[in-house]
Amino acid sequence: MFIEDLIVAIQGLTAELGQAAIFLSILSAVWTIVFLCIGLTKRKPNLIRSGRNAIIATFILISIATGALLFGFVTDDFSMKYVVEVSSAAQPLLYKITALWGRMSGSLLFWLWLLTIAGPIVVLQNRRSQDSLADYALIPIAIVQLFFIVLVTGWIEGVYNPLDRYPDWQIAVDGQGMNPLLQTPSMAFHPPTLYIGWISLTVPFAYAVAALLSGRIGSDWILRSRRWMLFSWIVLTVGITLGGHWAYQELGWGGYWAWDPVENASFMPWLLGTAYLHSVMIQEKRGMLKLWNILLITLSFQFTLIGTFITRSGIITSVHAFAQSDIGGYFLGFILLSTLGVIALIVYRWERLKSANRLESLLSRESSFVLNNWLLVGLTLIILWGTLWPIISEAIQGEKASVPEEFFNQVVIIPGLLLLFLTGAGPVISWKKITPNNFKRMFIPPIIVGLIATCIGWIFLAIKSILDAPNPIGESLFAQIPDGLIFSGKTFPIFSLLCIFASVFVLVAICSEFYRGAKLRTKRQQTSFLNGLGLLIQRNKRRYGGYIVHIGIVIVYIGIMGSKGYFLLESESLKLGESMEVGSYQLTMKDTFQEERENFFRAGVVFDVSKNGKHITMMRPARHFYHKAGQGDQDTIESAIHGVGMDNLYIALGPLPAKIDNTTDVNAQVYYNPLIRVVWIGVAIMVLGGLVAIAERSESATST
Amino acid sequence: MKQRRLKIIAASTILLIAMVFLVLAMTEKTSVLHFTPAELIANAEENDNQNLQVDGVIAEGSSTWDAPNFKLTFAVRDRESDETVNVIYENRLKPDNFTDGGSVFVEGKYDATKNMIVATKLTTKCASKYEGAESTSSEKSSS
Repeated sequence: MFIEDLIVAIQGLTAELGQAAIFLSILSAVWTIVFLCIGLTKRKPNLIRSGRNAIIATFILISIATGALLFGFVTDDFSMKYVVEVSSAAQPLLYKITALWGRMSGSLLFWLWLLTIAGPIVVLQNRRSQDSLADYALIPIAIVQLFFIVLVTGWIEGVYNPLDRYPDWQIAVDGQGMNPLLQTPSMAFHPPTLYIGWISLTVPFAYAVAALLSGRIGSDWILRSRRWMLFSWIVLTVGITLGGHWAYQELGWGGYWAWDPVENASFMPWLLGTAYLHSVMIQEKRGMLKLWNILLITLSFQFTLIGTFITRSGIITSVHAFAQSDIGGYFLGFILLSTLGVIALIVYRWERLKSANRLESLLSRESSFVLNNWLLVGLTLIILWGTLWPIISEAIQGEKASVPEEFFNQVVIIPGLLLLFLTGAGPVISWKKITPNNFKRMFIPPIIVGLIATCIGWIFLAIKSILDAPNPIGESLFAQIPDGLIFSGKTFPIFSLLCIFASVFVLVAICSEFYRGAKLRTKRQQTSFLNGLGLLIQRNKRRYGGYIVHIGIVIVYIGIMGSKGYFLLESESLKLGESMEVGSYQLTMKDTFQEERENFFRAGVVFDVSKNGKHITMMRPARHFYHKAGQGDQDTIESAIHGVGMDNLYIALGPLPAKIDNTTDVNAQVYYNPLIRVVWIGVAIMVLGGLVAIAERSESATST
Repeated sequence: MKQRRLKIIAASTILLIAMVFLVLAMTEKTSVLHFTPAELIANAEENDNQNLQVDGVIAEGSSTWDAPNFKLTFAVRDRESDETVNVIYENRLKPDNFTDGGSVFVEGKYDATKNMIVATKLTTKCASKYEGAESTSSEKSSS
């Protein structure tokens, strides 16, 4: 009895301590802002140092608060409202920890905590730097921190403080537990990865603001923000892919991307970040696009807030949307205020933002970068348009409407293919103006190889379409032309062929860049070709890392073309012993099974998979039944996935009775997803390229 | 120099106009109206045979899963009233989180005489107990 009381007392104490830490952090954030502002304008090193220390204090305080909440989860402190809502005593430890960001209040605290880590990192990174750019950057960081601190205090209607406890020492018997769909490892890693990607975008933005504040709009801020942006970009790439992979494995609809508002919210900052990573090179090389870069970085930061706004305000009725609350208004206000602030600073520094050079030709490295930026920003705006269409249509037409996946697929494909072509053309086109020699040497060979590959691809697709039985769903985006749009006719797979052409063109162009460079090194250093290649990459990590990313992009495109354009889908109702066909595969239902697991019950069937009469494998799709007191049973789809080369065979089952037997009708939905593994491989290569590029130290940065 | 700039501006303008045109045309073509069951029933006639989206909750006890025919039927009820629209969803899996009283988005063609939607896409959001969970079941791409 005494021990239990002691534990309750300790739990209560930590929760109160965490609360106190949150309120104190308001002070430290304000301290950072005020002392740095005064210190930097009056040039008082003491005040500046004090401001720096305050941002570290904010980190420590919020760590205490986050730690207190984690302590509550791990010790099952059911006197805390938030713990009761997302955890339960029986929940495995991993999911007790991930419950931290399971709902809005906790996810805001977690978000804030990640943001406070940025402060000390920026301070440490710049401890030897001579200028005060980083100190200026701490001001916007602290302002964003302050905004999030206010959000978690519980002062706002509808968002309670995650450390709130029930009044009068009331304690719930058990928590309600987290949704079983979220209790998977990839759901444990996907949200924090995305959060880190989003939050780290605050730092490059802060450097842009610092450049405006201090008036040093040269290359200093670019050097420092670039690597942070690359970091965010890599993390976002991983996070977005994890989300797609989770959807593919868990949700049973055979796909990985559906243009859901939340997916879009993560994709838009990624696109803008990609644009920024390219346009900084123009500023470094040619002193152009200074204003554009500041705008881009501001936009990418604002889009992380807009994403949060979309998902948290309930304004778009998304499946992901958190419950409605007033928080949307606060986000909107913060977005508007911070944008106005940046605009005011830009006006203030207008003279220094002028370009040193102008575009000289429509066909040059510079204009290919500009086109790349236009397309990426254009894509972002298109996706924003589609995502906000429910609001826009209501405002314009007075009727709420929305656009389906099809809209996104079809408007994105043409700019998308142009961008793909640019990933090869950009790196090989000459600066200032294309020359006949440059065109002959760099463009003609990849174009020829690309055309040959396109012809082969066409023949292959034609044969395939004759062999495969016509499938009404498989014949989709890449396989046909959107009717009435540009051409008419349905059978000529124009987008596939353009995609094949561009992909091969890019691969040849980039690989010959590697080849030429490596050969030169090999000759100069008198070493083997592989060594030469290694040296080449090592000496210019950013450039060749970037090219590796381009190769990864091409591979992702090929995977998307295969899996989105040529998948097959069959749905059938089967009894034991019956079989169905998907493409050239026969699936026969051989057996049923049911087993008791730790916290769920598993029932499913065994399929024998064969191709042309030859046995290939057994697949065991199932359903999981979760029992939850007071909430009834919940069963989830557990699809079975089998890899065939680069393709996937994918089976998901419809509802089953928990007692499954020989007479049960089993509903199987089977997909054949061609080249889907290529998507994951392509992303891995992109990340690898990003890691190579980020390894280059900024001091020694020499770009293309 | 002037001419070059003109060329660059002309090229960008054409690109921009083409993009805007494409986006507007596709919005026009694919946009589907959004209703609550009560709104839809009030305007049933003019929406007969239209593709549209209905947002409501799964009416308690209304859903049946017909396994031999691979068919899900249920009624989507208005959040604020008792009005319901029937839904039929064939040859697709029932999405996870499909529970009585849970939120559901239905997309498909409306038949006013039967007050029924032949759904092409179902999206569920779990009941108030859970937030942030999602599941989708749909035709995986455009037709």
